[in-house]
Order: sequence, then C-alpha cells, then structure tokens
Amino acid sequence: MRAAGWVGATLVAVLLGVALLGDDVSGYRYDAQDIPHALEGPSAAHLLGTDELGRDLLARTAEGARVSLLLALGSTLLALTLGVGYGGIAGYVGGRLDAWLMRGVDVGYSLPDILVIVLLTEVLQAGLTDVPDLYRRVLALGLALGLVGWVSVARLVRGLVLQAREEAWVEAARALGVRHRRLLLRHILPNVSGPILVTATFRIPAAILAESTVSFLGLGIQPPFSSWGVLASNGFAAMRSYPHLILFPSLAILVTLLAFHLLGDALREALDPRERGRT
Amino acid sequence: MIRYALWRILQGIPVLLIVASITFALLRFLPGGPFEREKALPPEILRNIEARYHLDEPLGRQYLRYLADLARGDLGPSYKYVGRDVTQILGEALPVSLQLGAVAFVLCCVFGMAMGLLAAVWRGSAADRGIMLLALLGVSVPSFVLAALLVLGVGLGLGWLPAALWEGPRYAVLPAITLAALPTAYVAQLTRTSVIEVIDLDYVRTARAKGLSELHVHLRHVLRNALLAVVTYFGPLLAMLLTGSFVVEHIFAIPGIGRFFVTAVTNRDYPLVMGVTLLYAVLVVAANLAVDLLYGWLDPRIRLGGREA
Amino acid sequence: MIGPRPQAWLGLLLCVALWGCDASSLPPPAGELRINLGTEPPTLDWARATDNISFLVIEQIMQGLTRLGPDLSPEPALAERWEVSPDGRTYTFHLRADVRWSDGVPLHADQFVYAWRRLLAPATAAEYAYFLFPVAGARAYNGGQLSDPNQLGVRALDARTLQVRLEAPLVYFPSLTTFMVTFPARADLIARHGEGWTEAGNLVSLGPYLLEEWRHEYRLVLRANRDFYAGPPTLDRIVGYMVGEASTALVLFEQGILDLVRLPPLEIRRYRDRPSYRHKAALRGYYYGFNTRLAPFDDARVRRAFAMAIDRDAFPKLLQGGELPAAYWIPPGMPYHNPEIGVRFDPAGARRLLAEAGVNPARLAPVRVVYNTDQTHRLVAETVQAQWQQHLGVRVELENREWKVFLKELTVSPPPVFRLGWGADFPDPDNFMNLFTSYSANNHTGWGNARYDALVEQAAREPDVGRRQALYDEAQRILCEQEVPIAPLFVGAINLAVAERVKGFEPNAMDIFFLERVRAE
Repeated sequence: MRAAGWVGATLVAVLLGVALLGDDVSGYRYDAQDIPHALEGPSAAHLLGTDELGRDLLARTAEGARVSLLLALGSTLLALTLGVGYGGIAGYVGGRLDAWLMRGVDVGYSLPDILVIVLLTEVLQAGLTDVPDLYRRVLALGLALGLVGWVSVARLVRGLVLQAREEAWVEAARALGVRHRRLLLRHILPNVSGPILVTATFRIPAAILAESTVSFLGLGIQPPFSSWGVLASNGFAAMRSYPHLILFPSLAILVTLLAFHLLGDALREALDPRERGRT
Repeated sequence: MIRYALWRILQGIPVLLIVASITFALLRFLPGGPFEREKALPPEILRNIEARYHLDEPLGRQYLRYLADLARGDLGPSYKYVGRDVTQILGEALPVSLQLGAVAFVLCCVFGMAMGLLAAVWRGSAADRGIMLLALLGVSVPSFVLAALLVLGVGLGLGWLPAALWEGPRYAVLPAITLAALPTAYVAQLTRTSVIEVIDLDYVRTARAKGLSELHVHLRHVLRNALLAVVTYFGPLLAMLLTGSFVVEHIFAIPGIGRFFVTAVTNRDYPLVMGVTLLYAVLVVAANLAVDLLYGWLDPRIRLGGREA
Repeated sequence: MIGPRPQAWLGLLLCVALWGCDASSLPPPAGELRINLGTEPPTLDWARATDNISFLVIEQIMQGLTRLGPDLSPEPALAERWEVSPDGRTYTFHLRADVRWSDGVPLHADQFVYAWRRLLAPATAAEYAYFLFPVAGARAYNGGQLSDPNQLGVRALDARTLQVRLEAPLVYFPSLTTFMVTFPARADLIARHGEGWTEAGNLVSLGPYLLEEWRHEYRLVLRANRDFYAGPPTLDRIVGYMVGEASTALVLFEQGILDLVRLPPLEIRRYRDRPSYRHKAALRGYYYGFNTRLAPFDDARVRRAFAMAIDRDAFPKLLQGGELPAAYWIPPGMPYHNPEIGVRFDPAGARRLLAEAGVNPARLAPVRVVYNTDQTHRLVAETVQAQWQQHLGVRVELENREWKVFLKELTVSPPPVFRLGWGADFPDPDNFMNLFTSYSANNHTGWGNARYDALVEQAAREPDVGRRQALYDEAQRILCEQEVPIAPLFVGAINLAVAERVKGFEPNAMDIFFLERVRAE
C-alpha cells in the first residue's frame, strides 16, 4: 500500500494546488460568459467544454475545488475540535459525567445527517447576520457540516482517552502532580494523535461527499460560488444531451475522494497499526 | 437478556425526547413558514389556517401540545399533504424504504463479505489488489454519479433493467446497487482486515495443523470473526441505508421515506419533519440494540451490558 | 452459522432479478396514457388544493359551472346557461339535468351551496377561499365577522338553479367558476369519510375520468367515466406517475414507459426538431421587481433606466424553450394583451436617464438582486447581472435564497431587486393587473398608485370590450413604462415531449391538460 499512499498524497497535493490557483488553472475566468460558445464539448480551446452560459468548465471545476476543499477542510477542523474536546473530557473524567456525555453522543447519532445539515444551514444562514451576505451561506454550510461530524470523532477520542488513562505512565504522571488539563492536553491527546489524524483524513472525503450531495439537491452552495456538487447537479439535469457537464465534475469528486482514501489508508498503516477498524 | 433489552429501550426514551426537542427548536428558528406562498394569502385566511393547526398559540403551548400528542402516538396532520396524518404518510412510505434497504443490506453483506474474504485469502495477489481497488472506488463514488451511470448505462443504454419506478423486484436492482455501493465497499475493507487478523492467529494455525480441511477452517473460525467485525458496523449501516436513500429514491422515483428528509424541510411541513426525525431515531436506537444482542450471541465472551452503545 | 455460501446467495438474487419480470412495464397498452405528474398532488380535495399538480388531476375528475374552452374562454359545463342581472351583480346559473355523480346521485344546486360554504368556512382554512371573496358576504364570513352562512350571496333557487349575488359587478365571474375551488361537493360523503374522502375508493366525482387508484408519492390511476354527461372520454385509463427528477422522467419517456413528460431546460435543444416536441407560451409572466422604498429605486427614472438596460431577446436564446421576450405585463393569449406596451432596450437612453436622476453608476453601491434557488432563475439572474454591468456600469451582486426563506424576505423586507413570476389562475387580465394595486398582498414593490388602482377596479366592472381595453392599456403604461415598479422580462413557456402514439394532445397557455378527446394507440 506504500505506493498507493504516495499516489494519494501526490493527488491531494495536486488538488490543493488546483484549489489554490482556482480558475488560473485554465485561461478563463470561472464566471466569464460566452453565450455563442455555450454547451460545447471538450476542445482545444476549452479542455473540458463549456456550460450553458459558455463558461469554461475547467475554470469552473477548478474554482469548485476551492470551495469544496475549503469547506471539507474547515468543517473537518471544526468536527475535530469539538469531537476531541468533548470526547477527551468524557474519556478523561469518566464516571457519571462520561455516561451523561455519551447520551449526548447517542442523541447525535440519532439525528439524520442530511436533514440536520439542510436545517442547520438555513438556520445558521439566517442567524449569521454579522457576516457579509456573500459568504454567509458558505460559512453556514461549513458550520453545519462540522456540527454533524463531531459525534463520531467524540466517540473515537473518548475510547482512546479512556484506554490511555489506564496506562502506567498516566498513573505515574498523575502521581507526580501533573495538572489534569496539562495531562490531557500535553500528554494523553498527543499520545493518541495518530488515530485521530487518521480519522480526520477520512472525515475530509466524507465531508466532500456530504457537501456534494446537499449541493446536488440544490440546498448547498449557491452562486456566485460553485462547488462540484452544484456543477454535477446542473450536469445531471442535462445528462442526456450534454454528458460532459456531469462527467468532469463527477470525476473531480471521484478522484478527490480516492486520493484522500488512499492517503488515509497509508496513514493508518503508518501511524496506527492497532486501530484497524475505521470510525 | 430481556431485562437488558428493556433497560436499553428505557434509555432510548430520553434520547428520543431530546431529539424531538432539538428538532422542534431548530424548526422554529428556521426562517419562512409552512404557509408562505408565492401567491400571498389574505390575512383572514392566514388566521384561519394558523388557528386550525394551533400555530397561533405561544411556542411553549405548541411544544407541550406536540409532546402530549406524541405520547398518544399521534404525530399530527401534515401541513403540505392536506387531510393526511404524518403517521399515515410514514406508514405508507416506510415499507418501501425497508424493502429497498433490505435488498441493499443483503447485497452489501453478501458481496462485501465475499469480496473481503477472497481478498484476504488471496492476500497480495493481483485479485486482492483488484478487489480492493473496486472497494476504493465504491467508497469514492457519490450516489448520484453512480445513479446517473446506471440509469443511462444499464437502464437506457443496455436496456437490461428498468431505469426507474417501483413495480417489482426487477425495479429494485439498480437503486439497491446504488444504495449498497458505499457500504459494500466498506464491508469488504472491514472483512478483509479482520480475516487477515484471524488467519494469522494461533488457533487457526492449530486448527489447520489438526487436519481440518482448509475450507472448514475458513468458514467456522474466520467467518465468525469477520462477522463480528461487520456486525459492529450494522448500526451506522442501517442509518446510511435509510438516509442515503433520499438521492436514490429521488432519482429512481421510489415512494419511500427518504424524500421526506429533504422535502419536509423545504416545505416547512413541521409535523412531517418531526415525524421522520423521530422515526429515524427510533430505528437507530433499535438497530444499535439489535447489534448489541447479536453481538452477544455471536461472541459469548462479551457480557451484555459491558459495552457502551 | 452463516448458512448457505455466498455463491448460493448470489444465485438466489439472480433468480429474483430474472423472475421479477412484470406486466406493467413497456409499452403501455392502447387506450392507456402515462403521464408524469412530477410530484404527489398535495390533495384532491378541490376546496383545499392550491397547486398545479392537484389542479391537473382534479380537472380530469371534476367539473364546475363553467369550463375553459380550447380558446380559454369560459364555456358551459355543469351549468348549461347563465344570466347576469342588469346591475351586473347577480348571476343565475341553470344546471344541466343529466348530470350524475359516479355513485348515481344526481347533481343538485345545493351541492354548490354546500361546497361554497365549506370553502369559505373559517374552520376549513382553505387557502384559496379568496377566489370567492367577490361573492356577497364571503369575505366577512371567512374572516369571522359574519357567522351565518345563510347570509352568503349563494342560494339554490331549486334543484337546478343557482343564484349568486356579488359584492360588486365583476365581468369575468364565469371565468372564476372554471376554477376547482368553486366545484360542487357532497356533504354526505365528506361527513361519512372525513379527511379520507379523497382517497381512491371513497372519492366520488363527475368528470370525464374517475379516480381508480392513488398510491401516494408514486402513481395515480384514472379510468374513463362511462356515464360522463358529455359522453365517455376516449382514453380508458390515465396513469400519472410522480417522477420528481425530470432527467429520470425523460429517460423513461425515451424508453417508451411514459408518454408525456416536461422537458428539462437543457434537453429542449435536442428535441426541438422532433415530432414529439410540443411547446406553447404560457400565461406566466416573469419579472424583476424593484423595492421602490429603497434608494436608488425610489426614483422612477432609475427604475426605468434599469428596465431599459435589459436586452430581453437574450432570454429565449438562453433558455431555449420558446419563451417570449416581454416588456408588457398582460401576456399574449390573455384577452386585452397589447404587444406595443413596454420600454424598449436602449442602453444609451438608460444611461441618460440615470444621469438625469443624478445617479453616478461608478459610485453606486452594488445593486443586490435576490432570487430563489433554481437553475433557470440563476441563468436569468446571471444574464441580467452581466447586462446591467455592461450597459449601465453599475455593480450587481446576486444572492439566492431557498424558496420559503425568499418568500418570507419578500413580505418582511423586500430586497432592492427581486425575481418573481405569476401564473394565471384564470384567463382574465384582472388576475394579472390586480397584483400591483396598492392593497395587493402580492405587491412586494412598495409601490402604490391611486390612478392605477382606479383603472384596474374600473376595468373589472366594465362589460364593454373596447372601453375595457383602453382602461387596461392605460394601467399597463403606468406599470411598465412610466412608473416601472417592475421590469417584466419574458413570458414563460411550456415544453413537453409527447409520445407519437398519442394523438390529439396540444398544450394550452393555461397549462391545463385537456385529455377528454386524446387517443393513445
């Protein structure tokens, strides 16, 4: 799997590069309309063809990478922060508090993801009045994705911390008078960071998938921003006549998910030989 | 065992209550109401509608009224589907989703475990790599992409199977494949890992040395272990098969409950949103309980009650 | 423990897959028409239905006093004739003698009285109760100020005579009675079945087709009413599937499983030259509204400038569905339409107007345009954005909202520029022009004009065609040329694919499916 891991890492690096460059990757601006050349298939001028307003699909896909990856990374970071905090405290304190906190995790698991994402996005978008209107929806969606993602992280971290707490060196540290906070933040969590990193790597493709699904339903990212899900959704509506419109954004999603999975698998083998079951 | 099951069900009740409360609160923060219309309604008509559905009462009263109705098993009338109760709507749609989910579930257990088993047995070979690549594709392909591919390719192009609708078993094949792709790939990965773990264990080697046939060893010891690994995943799997079904049901025109997870919210059909959320929660709680019971049965070493849900 | 081996499971599955062949697939038998409804009709209770899908189905199974003819003028249906009193306030409808409900019960004028009282009763909470607000006492009864339904202006003089007293003269009242909420209903059946009276098996109706099966969220089957008063219809069965994804429906059409589907916008080009393609401009106006309370749109010159800077010919090219560029408000196909009305595309003139109004486009804060999430609305918004930026030199920001959020925003604080549309409920211009009266709940522009209000009210009472035309022309000029609270963009179109085995089907501007004389071979 080592070679595959490198492939994954390289692909991820390329994708991040594309996301950084955005529509500079192609020679066109992602919103430059050219109606006479609308709906053309791939050609030398437009490598991936054009959409219904004659916009370059490569530019739009590259611009979509920016939004899709940013959202995935941001929401994963949020899920990780919440999950590590929640799970860490539950696992470290244990006892009755742990039992209560775990009921909270049960509640999180009992809520349907898609419905909660759709609901939260609208609620948050209406609530984020301080944010410039343009960015409100992207931010709302990112928060919503993060807020449904923390549960599985919390459960994993809680298990890891619970296990680590029983180990001899933790007992020793405690006996030496290391403060709880310090012990948890500086010792226990770094010690279990391997599996957490692996989980994070797998959260990213999950978030991309969730975002693309919600956007596919027309409830996610909205113009002027675009994401792969939005592009694929538009393509789906025209899939009989203009298959390139769904093909390329779909490929972008597929390759990205593949890359992160390859990377995740490699990381798991490298960092986390015991933790083979994925969370 | 029964006492344990009862205890778990009791534990589920506060979870459901919190789920209901969170959903209720979120819905009321949601801008735009169920009777916001493109063609605006005169004020007297709006008042009549609000009175009919008790939307003119203070929120606290509405909340208590909802809980009281819930306790009697009444999920209320749908706002969108005039004259139909949420219970009735879910009652008609749930069997369809369960059928589709069951087919997908079988597909994913059979193919997932078979793929994982074969890959483990042939570890390192080209076949192993091929199977694992397939699994990797499975976890990487969004369901709407796969659906488009199947509808156009198998449905329209080859004409082997109906492209959509819900008229009989043949109609379940394409949507079930779409729904099952991701979990199948996942089960394959899980199975492979756990089988490899077991093959290297001492007791399998011992069994082999004792002269039992290779196949027997694989079936009795290896499968049991693989199953244990997969069973832990049944809870989330069920959740996935039910919510993943929105896109699938929408594209294949299947009358299941998946669609309500999205349309009920966009219609602001509050009772229906509450209804699907609660139904989902009940299913998750039930699935987790079933998994625990199954787990205890498969692996007598685990004492029930010792495991956290 | 695991039972049969994987191979066995696989075999079983294959068997299921192969044996599961069933009769209902392709192709549909002669005499059966399969259409795509798109979604579940929210209800078949014609007093409480409000949407197009329910309307489409109810139109097949029920009839009212009048019905729309192919030219969309009201024709006799359950009423064989009617008279208007000289003051224009009393209509007397004479019902046909030969009409029976599908359970054999004869039609009675009381069934109209009951249906109208039920529609207007506050407890029914019917959203479209306001369609009968022109009837004397109706609004007061619905609002609770009048509690005695006997005081409503609708009476059965005898079994076959219905008398309606209006609040004020209304020349298009016979157009209103083509609409489903005015259809008769049976008190006995609604009492017996309660909320379930519209389910298959319970539903009794009197139209050309009858409800046979209603599998919610999936399909609805209608069968011919052999005892229909105007003679049995030509089709034996109509099956309406609810395929929500237009692309899927199109695939089913191409497989020969569905006979009639709506075309997704981007698929229209491929169909344009095929015999199965049908299109028709609809009675559906698409416009951008200005919030006239917000600067700079509080100045009519600015609004006019923005309306003039739109090249409306771009929309049909963009949308490809036979849309008509429109600067007028009353659409073609509607009586009193006048194609001369409306501002012309004139970028230089628009810039001059802006300058006259003292607006410096370069200094103007970005103009916010808000629309609801949808592919077509997005395309239109992006086009308008590009045109305004190019022709006026203003910056334009697009925002979109989920539908319900958008509607809420329109009523609470309308954005500077917003997209909306209006589809005709009945083919009379009052349905369109009334929208922008100062007291209309659907007027989100904040604009009010006493002269406009007076013209529209007067036109609704004016029986003379020539005088009515003059009134509507003047009102339209105020709306579309002088005051410009809205910039009409185009008239929407209906785009269908109809299987070649289906004969005698033509779409019409109201988007009603007339299926009584359609044949499927």
